[in-house]
Amino acid sequence: MLSFLSPLFLAGAAAAAVPIVLHLLKREPEARMKWAAVRLLKRAPVEHTARRHLRELILLALRVAAFVLLALAFARPFFATGAAVASSSVTIVALDTSYSLSAPGRFERARQLAKDAIARAPAGDLVGVVSFADEAEILAKPGADRVLAAAAIDEAAPGFGATRYRAALSAASQNLDGRRGTIVVVTDLQENGWDAGDHASVPAGTTIQLADVGALPPNLAVTAVRTLADRVVATIHNGGARPRDARVHLTIDGRPAGDAIVSLGPNQSADATFAGAPRGSSAAVAVDDPGGIQADNVRYAVLGGTSRPTVLVVTGSGDLGREAFYVQHALAAGTAANAAFQVASVGGAPLAAWTDDRLAAHAAVLLLSTRGLERRGRELLASYAQNGGGIFIAAGPDVDGDVVGDVLGAGSTLRIVTVNGTRPAPRALAPGDVRHPVFQAFAGSSATFGLVTFQNAARIGGSACQTLARFTTGDTALIECPAGEGRALVLASDLDNRWSDFPLHATFVPFLHEVVRYLASARAHASDYVIADVPPGVKRVPGVVTVTGAGRAGTGPRPIAVNVDPRETDPARMSVDDFQSAVTRLKDAGGAEARVEARQQEDRQHLWQYALALMAVLLAVEGIVASRTV
Amino acid sequence: MPRPARDRPFLDPTVVARLGTLELKARTIVEGFLSGLHRSPFKGFSVEFAEYRQYIPGDALSTIDWKVYARSDRYYVKKFEEETNLDCHLLLDVSGSMAYGSHHALSKFEYGGCLAAALGYLMNRQRDAVGLTAFDENIVTMLPVSSRPGHLLALLVTLDRLQCGRKTNVAKPLNLLADTLTKRGIVVLISDLLDNPDEIIRGLKHFQFRGIDVIVFHVLDHDEIEFPFDRATRFEDLETSEEIMAVPGAVRGHYLREIGALIERYRRELGASGIDYQLLDTNRPLELALLSYLSTRSRAL
Repeated sequence: MLSFLSPLFLAGAAAAAVPIVLHLLKREPEARMKWAAVRLLKRAPVEHTARRHLRELILLALRVAAFVLLALAFARPFFATGAAVASSSVTIVALDTSYSLSAPGRFERARQLAKDAIARAPAGDLVGVVSFADEAEILAKPGADRVLAAAAIDEAAPGFGATRYRAALSAASQNLDGRRGTIVVVTDLQENGWDAGDHASVPAGTTIQLADVGALPPNLAVTAVRTLADRVVATIHNGGARPRDARVHLTIDGRPAGDAIVSLGPNQSADATFAGAPRGSSAAVAVDDPGGIQADNVRYAVLGGTSRPTVLVVTGSGDLGREAFYVQHALAAGTAANAAFQVASVGGAPLAAWTDDRLAAHAAVLLLSTRGLERRGRELLASYAQNGGGIFIAAGPDVDGDVVGDVLGAGSTLRIVTVNGTRPAPRALAPGDVRHPVFQAFAGSSATFGLVTFQNAARIGGSACQTLARFTTGDTALIECPAGEGRALVLASDLDNRWSDFPLHATFVPFLHEVVRYLASARAHASDYVIADVPPGVKRVPGVVTVTGAGRAGTGPRPIAVNVDPRETDPARMSVDDFQSAVTRLKDAGGAEARVEARQQEDRQHLWQYALALMAVLLAVEGIVASRTV
Repeated sequence: MPRPARDRPFLDPTVVARLGTLELKARTIVEGFLSGLHRSPFKGFSVEFAEYRQYIPGDALSTIDWKVYARSDRYYVKKFEEETNLDCHLLLDVSGSMAYGSHHALSKFEYGGCLAAALGYLMNRQRDAVGLTAFDENIVTMLPVSSRPGHLLALLVTLDRLQCGRKTNVAKPLNLLADTLTKRGIVVLISDLLDNPDEIIRGLKHFQFRGIDVIVFHVLDHDEIEFPFDRATRFEDLETSEEIMAVPGAVRGHYLREIGALIERYRRELGASGIDYQLLDTNRPLELALLSYLSTRSRAL
């Protein structure tokens, strides 16, 4: 399809009217003249009027074509393919398949709304279908076949994921493929669909329409299961506006192990406790709620497993309260039930007595001191890192640069030089790459790191290490070093309010959590997963499954519980305006991409050169014809 | 300071055209022309001795007859009487083709009329007998040769009453006139010669055979010489009303070759026969034609 890089130049084709106007204006009636020497003209080659008229028309056509070709050449024509094709508009229907739509009758309504959206799409629009929950899936690529799109909607079914609008809008935007269009989001407008501070971007000119499936019906959900030594505690949530009595059932390894009835007020949660030490490998707690959301009626737990990753903090003596007070409380932030991490500690000397398997059970290791860290301990840490473990090193006053060099293995290029006796110099930290997972969560608020004052800092570096942040003095503040299959993050200061006031700032806790999540991401240690976070290869269905460690040392087969994200049961809804305000219209982002693609295509094709060459040929022909006409 | 007569430019035909009567036109042309020839070699011709008169102070010394003075010891001056010694026949073509004239010049008919009048005036002033024959395919008007003082007026009146006729047949009146002339003289043909050149040349040679000098003034409009048109035009013949559609750009080359060949043929064949041929562009001054006439006349005497 022929497109133009600079279509405004096509207006220059109006100049083609000049020869036409001149032709029309100069069309005079046939001249007559009384002449004495007609006899001398008789033998002259008298030109036939019709032939001359034809020749004049050819001349006119040549001149008009020359003008048009000139305008065409300036407009930089090219045959557009792919993203550069931006002629027809597209309607993308994004169908919410989160489990909140699994209540009776709700998904049928969602299907109908989606089909209505397809039917209302302007004639000539391409129509595509995307389903979304935690992730988006293309059910029907944009095309003219609306029956195919409707069939794709018929085949869609609610899953076990939670609503994530960003995934839906991102996939829909990609399917617009640089074209203008409309995204129709068929959803129940759950507020939790946007994460805190979350937003999505769509190309400018994209219209977003919302088809509201309606509010959640009265619903009972099992939102948490904790297996303690002497009992199993399940948290039941009543999402309805009326008080309800919830009948709760415990199952151990598939066998009924107890029932309980819990009275719940409107929009309240309460625990159902099943006394007695659970014996078995897995437990399931179910609540009777035939009229509500089905997927949240049961929740699974691994008996004897931990639902949270454990972080090992290595200090001089292993006394967290004295040597890693801030780190301990930052990692364990939250209530006992929903703390992000479990924290374990060990002194440098005792670590030498550990085995690889014992160390491998930890999601990440925070090395705050090298005191007492013997060679055996360093070898353990190096083995841990080489096998995919993540180590965070706070190069504070308790870390000896010479000792820590072995921690990442023999081939490590990590170098830490502690400068003693220098005068404290206040400095702040500035992330160098805000797209790095450690800083990504801070997004636009990464500047708050500038509030932290680092009085002292070690010199860190390594030829294979990537600098993630620098101090305002220009020195390296945070680096990431590869270590076999694992990785290490090294901060050029401590985490204990001696060289810096970092622990006293609000960014400390989220920073530490992001660091641990990033380091632990290479290994899976938790036994409780939500659908969105299941390890690769695990089916996205609630239940207890066994996963393997892919042959890594210390990561043998282990059971994990996969559950639905409890946030999806929250009945809070947002308005259409709130939804729209969370969407950013990237000013012509798709257009810019299309323009770049178009320019590249135009550069490859050089059609303007052919147009100019053809124009030159036409002008040459015009010159020849004109010389014979005058 | 008055401009020397020699350097005075000839009258532009467009200026002549704006003059009132044909007589005024002729006088203006001839007097202006002659005033520029006061040192011409034609001075003193056509005079004959008449009587002696006693010298009066103021008479030119060159007129004193010194032989008489030697015999009588008295001063006498010679008195001469001018006499006509040539018959001049003006043949004016008044066929339809002579009616052509471009917007910025006299028509060939007007130009030829002015030329005939001027020549008549000049001849009359020279005491030559002059006659006029106007013709198209036939002789339209014929004024006999005469040198009477009132003849010039009759000539001018005749010219003034002429109108363009129809078809051309130059040879026919030429032959008729040649047969009637018995006295030696000059025939002046004023025509565009757009006829059969063979017959025209044959007719003119007829005069030559009878010992009559011939001057041919080939009068053509500037357009007929240059063919400066650019628009496709339907050309209608002035005599036959025959029409032909032509694109000037396409036929110009051919036309210019044709007209050039015609002129060249007249110039070559008439010149070879001792006939003076003068091509006159209606844009050019009439005096040039007078000069040509006088040159031929001096040869004829």
